[in-house]
Amino acid sequence: MLYRGTANFLHHAVPFIRDGLDAGEPVLVLTAVSRIDALRAELRGDAGQVQFADMAQAGSNPARIIPLWQEFIDRGSKDGRPVRGIGEPIWPERSPAELAECQWHESLLNLAIDPATPIWLLCPYDASALEAGVVAEAHRSHPLVTEGDHRRESGAFRGLGGSAEPFSVPLPAAPLGCRSLAFGPADLATVRATVAAFAAQAGLKAERKDELIAAAHEVACNSVQHGGGGGELRLWRDHRSVICEFSDHGRVDDPMIGRRRPSARSAGGRGLWLANHMCDLVQIRTLPQGTVVRLHKRL
Amino acid sequence: MQKIFGFAWRGKSGVTQWEKGTMSLLKGAASGEQPMAGWLEGEPMYTDRQLVIRHTVPTNGLSFAGTIDVMNADQVASALISQLDQGLPLHLELSRVEFSDVSGIRAFVLAAECADARNRIVLHGLPSLLQRVITVVGWADLPGLEICSCSAG
Repeated sequence: MLYRGTANFLHHAVPFIRDGLDAGEPVLVLTAVSRIDALRAELRGDAGQVQFADMAQAGSNPARIIPLWQEFIDRGSKDGRPVRGIGEPIWPERSPAELAECQWHESLLNLAIDPATPIWLLCPYDASALEAGVVAEAHRSHPLVTEGDHRRESGAFRGLGGSAEPFSVPLPAAPLGCRSLAFGPADLATVRATVAAFAAQAGLKAERKDELIAAAHEVACNSVQHGGGGGELRLWRDHRSVICEFSDHGRVDDPMIGRRRPSARSAGGRGLWLANHMCDLVQIRTLPQGTVVRLHKRL
Repeated sequence: MQKIFGFAWRGKSGVTQWEKGTMSLLKGAASGEQPMAGWLEGEPMYTDRQLVIRHTVPTNGLSFAGTIDVMNADQVASALISQLDQGLPLHLELSRVEFSDVSGIRAFVLAAECADARNRIVLHGLPSLLQRVITVVGWADLPGLEICSCSAG
């Protein structure tokens, strides 16, 4: 759904929400606090029937959004009852890396939710504030586009078959001369110590540093166990984050990795889930030559 | 809050019998610090390059000092399971765990799955990051695993 400014957002979102409430459907809205406030004011007494969450918190790391939808569907869609939601993960202040992950999330959402699930999901894009390239990518990741009062099929949609394509698009190269370390099965303690020293020097405080170390260790373990016995660690920082990259020769076939809440009984599949909850951003790409996992922890 | 387990008895010197033993045993431990108040350490029951597990007395318990990860998680799970046959809750003192990864926590979970209502596993002094990790990965509500809210002293 392409809109221009708050009034236009409300023009589309409010009838969508009211239709859901009239039909007795659970409604979840994930967007910015300013939009939530505007919706509450417009919906008045009915706002209490809508579940709201601040996307800047809940979806700060966009890899945490699909599990929220999944839980909402599992909770609300009992007996095949339809549910509906509004999810707006992209805003102009997103960093380039965050934007890339938001766009990957939007495409992956097509695969994450079973097409048979009775859910209406509205994905608002503020065309008056976002760059043209962002809007163009939204056309590739969404089957239907609403602009003005017209709804049409998106001619640029990748299709379900193509929705995993962004998983194989390489990340921008790591900076030349960054700290690097080749590691194998016996080097996990060295990996942790290297990440700890770099993070401390960059100014990460104790608790956040420990969260990064916990995530980094799990990713390094994945390289040892599934990535050919080891990999390469690279560390650098930009103006807002410490970045910790692991590359190895393994392949990840499951683009949903790290986005399924592990059940108490499942044996594996927790490393990247944990990384997504310990880090501000996790970028995973699987390429012909291997897999890259990039952890971002804000300073 | 400090949770006191069992009791210590004082000899004429004012030093408890177990403190005497503990002081010498602790020299080889990964961390030189003392366990949480109320915990008295006995013989090591498992030692490797990164971890020492000791019996604690008089409680049916074990204390951990060092690192639990993919390198020793299997051994930790075996050590825990071997202590489950007492028909009593198994208390673990974890305040000196410097690092544990998901596979290390899974060792506790595997043992908890072998436990029943009588011999459940109770975690004490769990470092705050580990407590969060257990919650995030979905193991905070297992029936055989209890997380005691006592502080790490």
